[in-house]
Amino acid sequence: MNDTFLPDIARLLDVRDETPDTKTFTLRFRDLKNAGPFHFLPGQFLELSVFGYGEAPFCIASSPTRPHTLETTVRRTGQLTTALHRLGNGEEVGVRGPFGNGFDVEAAHGKDLLFVAGGIGLPPLRSLIWNVLDERSRFGKVTILYGARTPADLVYKQELEEWGKRSDVEFHVTVDMADSNWTGNVGVVSTLFQQISLKPESTLAYVCGPPIMIRFVVHDLLALGFKEEAVISTLERMMQCGIGKCNHCAIGHRYVCRDGPVFNYSQIRELVE
Amino acid sequence: MAFTIERQAITKWLQKLLESGEVIAPVRGPCGDILFSTIRSPEQVVWNFQNPLHPPKQFVLPQTDPIVTIKRNDERFEVEPTYDDTRRFLFNVRSCDAKGIAFLTRMYEMEPADASYLRRANNLTIISLACNIPCPLGFCVCTGSGPFLSDGYDVQLTDLGESYLVEVASEKGEAAVSGVPNLFRPATEDAVSQRKRLETEAKNHFEQETCHFASAMRRISTGRVPDALWEKMSDSCLECGGCNMACPTCYCFSVRDLGCDGTWIRCRLWDSCQYPAFTLEASGHNPRAHRKERMKRRFFHKVSAQYYQRDATVGCVGCGRCIKVCLGATNMPAVVAAIRMGKWNE
Repeated sequence: MNDTFLPDIARLLDVRDETPDTKTFTLRFRDLKNAGPFHFLPGQFLELSVFGYGEAPFCIASSPTRPHTLETTVRRTGQLTTALHRLGNGEEVGVRGPFGNGFDVEAAHGKDLLFVAGGIGLPPLRSLIWNVLDERSRFGKVTILYGARTPADLVYKQELEEWGKRSDVEFHVTVDMADSNWTGNVGVVSTLFQQISLKPESTLAYVCGPPIMIRFVVHDLLALGFKEEAVISTLERMMQCGIGKCNHCAIGHRYVCRDGPVFNYSQIRELVE
Repeated sequence: MAFTIERQAITKWLQKLLESGEVIAPVRGPCGDILFSTIRSPEQVVWNFQNPLHPPKQFVLPQTDPIVTIKRNDERFEVEPTYDDTRRFLFNVRSCDAKGIAFLTRMYEMEPADASYLRRANNLTIISLACNIPCPLGFCVCTGSGPFLSDGYDVQLTDLGESYLVEVASEKGEAAVSGVPNLFRPATEDAVSQRKRLETEAKNHFEQETCHFASAMRRISTGRVPDALWEKMSDSCLECGGCNMACPTCYCFSVRDLGCDGTWIRCRLWDSCQYPAFTLEASGHNPRAHRKERMKRRFFHKVSAQYYQRDATVGCVGCGRCIKVCLGATNMPAVVAAIRMGKWNE
């Protein structure tokens, strides 16, 4: 019988500041039995324990093509995330998972891919983005649009620069409110659609961000001619067990932790609260 | 397999059960009320009782259920699963409560199975007592969970007067009636037909409490319950969560670390879908911020066709406890009736 709730112990190899309230944690399993590659799909999530504070779900922000460490990017919002933010290199956390369905990477082979992320919505897409870039020849055109409230709220700044320089990626970034050093785009992420050309019939769009941003972006994509099945998002709900038992993340008879968190827009419309 | 046991011989049987494990039965508490508790001697068991306010679900799913032990040595953490392997007999539980535990076990067996729950459930033998006279608030006949059972028990007892009919339905049940020579005799045809007669009589004894699930299910499943009706009903809800705590089939939980300074027990705690924080996300966003949405959720989970298809039953065993505990009268039969009639308390 499996140990349903038993976490594996992982050590923090690196803690990196992304924004004033967001950090990226790099983890490696401590015990030998888990030293091998950890199999997961982009879009899946972990239940991360900060011992004494409990556990909470966080998406895996690193790519399965780089399996020896795991990364997760966490904004400080509550008790557990505040405690996690206090931890430094070498300290231990618990990991259960991976949970959820994840993105169907094979279904994206040969397609053009459009990533639209808002703020802290980039981490789950980053897992898929690096997966795609590490197997670049399998995919068509790759376009990444990223928006944040202010320049300070942009995560993975170094990688954004790298994506901007790559010739096999079209990358655009925007902020809602510029500061004095910002010379780039200003406006919500959907304004970036004007700068790109899309072939909706052969493109899959991956959208992740705050609910209001998702609503506007999905509306625009459908107006551009995307099919509902080609617009894919990853939902957030309060999740505890990760295995569809505790009922916190239920929407109708579906469970975000087990049936999701990745759904296409046609499936999302069928979810009845 | 069916046997009979003489009324006086029950004590001997209970003594045997006490030697092989923990026996939980309805007993009279210090203030005279009936509750399920571990017994030390057979005399404590009560035979004429109406169901205690709390179902026996705490013996498979404790309100605070330790699942992982966490220890800290300097900078190193060690974790171990916590299992409860105590052999237990649940004696004299009513049909609805036996069905309630069968429901919980089905939920936790679903892939991926929950090892912590199943270890406890696998060590539990359910010896139920059929209801010759249904309780005044019960409507188990509407949920297929009483007054007599055809499944969901290991052993089912029926009071035949001077003796009990003992129906055995599982290996655990067989183990519970074995090793006590001369106590159990093969049931006569007469005893079996007496049980059938008692079941028919019991079904004729139900009082006014009924619950017409079918038409409510049709409306709930297709989203045809007007929002205004949910809102009106939810005005009567005090968000106390009493319905969830007293419900034999409610199984929502949260996970918390209890303890301090280097040793914690990670516990599964009962939670309630009626509490606002049940769906509150760290960002502050709450998809079910309003009481009416939470009430809708509770009845969708228990009565919708979507869940009925998955679980092959409604999430209710007709015990009537929510009628007793709900201060706002938003209990199962009342809400089902309101949905069916399209009005609440008018």
